[in-house]
Amino acid sequence: MQKPHRFLLDRVASYAEEGSAYLRRRRIRSQPFARVWREGGAVEAVGAETEVGIRLFKVANALLGEAARPK
Amino acid sequence: MRAVSLAVAEDDAKRALATLVETCAGLRSGAIVAAGGELLAESAEGDWSAQVRRLWSALDGERKPPATQVHVATEAGELFAVRSGAITVVALTDRFALASLMFCDLRSVLRDLPAVADLADGEAALDAERKAA
Repeated sequence: MQKPHRFLLDRVASYAEEGSAYLRRRRIRSQPFARVWREGGAVEAVGAETEVGIRLFKVANALLGEAARPK
Repeated sequence: MRAVSLAVAEDDAKRALATLVETCAGLRSGAIVAAGGELLAESAEGDWSAQVRRLWSALDGERKPPATQVHVATEAGELFAVRSGAITVVALTDRFALASLMFCDLRSVLRDLPAVADLADGEAALDAERKAA
């Protein structure tokens, strides 16, 4: 049988691991990105530095900048 | 005739958008825009028609199948757009919105707009007839 303190250590280590994975995911997710779905089911990531990406981010920023004005 | 049809379509669109705003957590604002640039519904003021046109024109220029959905995440928030036929539903949300749920809701709005879709199809057919004549 596992000693009680080992069980506790395992438990705490698991929670810490989950927490760090969550923060890692959130950090990756917080980077600006653009994703496009096309007819036929293809999905592609659009780089922010590409011509299409620049145009998409321009549109998004313009609309999000105006979104503070409720009707 | 066209004005009456458009009014009915706008009513449907406004109702659908109001439901979307009520049910979606984290949604800041949204709009429904027809292909011709007509703004059918908006929950907040904005340059929706022009920006939606710019959004799709950025993607339509490429030699790829037409884009149907777009998700753009910036530091200020996130933009989701879905189009079907001639109608676009666009939504602006807080950061870290659940993308798959948001797209599911936007697609359901598109499905609930039969009158608008009919109008758009009718307009497209009229345009085709005009070009053929």
